[in-house]
Amino acid sequence: MSYGYTTDLAAVRTVVYRYAKQAGLPEHRAIDLVLAVSEVAANTVRHTKSPGSLKIWYDTKEIVCQIQDEGTIHDPLAGQRKPSVDAMGGHGLWIVHQVCDEVEMQSDEVGTTIRLHMNLPRIRPGS
Amino acid sequence: MTAIPLESALWYKKGVDLLTVSVTARESAGEPYTLVEITGEADVTNTEELRRLLDDEVSQQPRTLIIDMSGLRFMDSSALHALLRANRSLDRQGGVLALVSPQPAVAKILRLTTADRLIPVFASVADAAAG
Repeated sequence: MSYGYTTDLAAVRTVVYRYAKQAGLPEHRAIDLVLAVSEVAANTVRHTKSPGSLKIWYDTKEIVCQIQDEGTIHDPLAGQRKPSVDAMGGHGLWIVHQVCDEVEMQSDEVGTTIRLHMNLPRIRPGS
Repeated sequence: MTAIPLESALWYKKGVDLLTVSVTARESAGEPYTLVEITGEADVTNTEELRRLLDDEVSQQPRTLIIDMSGLRFMDSSALHALLRANRSLDRQGGVLALVSPQPAVAKILRLTTADRLIPVFASVADAAAG
């Protein structure tokens, strides 16, 4: 599915949660994915004036959320170092790296694409 | 103690109230602590309002500022920064910030960032008031 957003991050979180559960992600991992996508989408709100787009797909092995916007991330290692707890910024992308199984990031002058991967459990709950 | 809402603020987003912050007790009004209740979802789109309200309460120099998070479904890193900022200011003026009953999603970000080691988290307002 594909979903455009400007500032309505609550709606983004609702969509992600619904698909995460539908894909078979356990509750605590669904919470993680919602947090990660919300942090990335928050960067769109914070740093760009244009809307972002969210795409979600899943198969039996994983669920992937792809977030695209027109912002540029200059630091290729953004989010890979833990900021000090009382740092007044920089926690967002670090959290994303902590909770997702894999994070892909591509960024240039045209925009940024971030793909968040979450592995699905082999046996689905309730099956 | 019957808590009477002293102040309430609402932010509407497409007709849905995303975040409500209410101050239900104030030390400056003779209560043993200042109690702020945060309900809904706190993210970058409403952090500014949250920060402003916390700044107002912190500026009244309470000894104990308790934030009841039991109705908060979600918090992102920018809302967390508003809490960390309040914690830092309170700490400087000799006060204490305490958090109460975070839901799983909120507890997760507190734990991930280790903010829960900086700001004490309690199961109830009574526990937080007892320190």
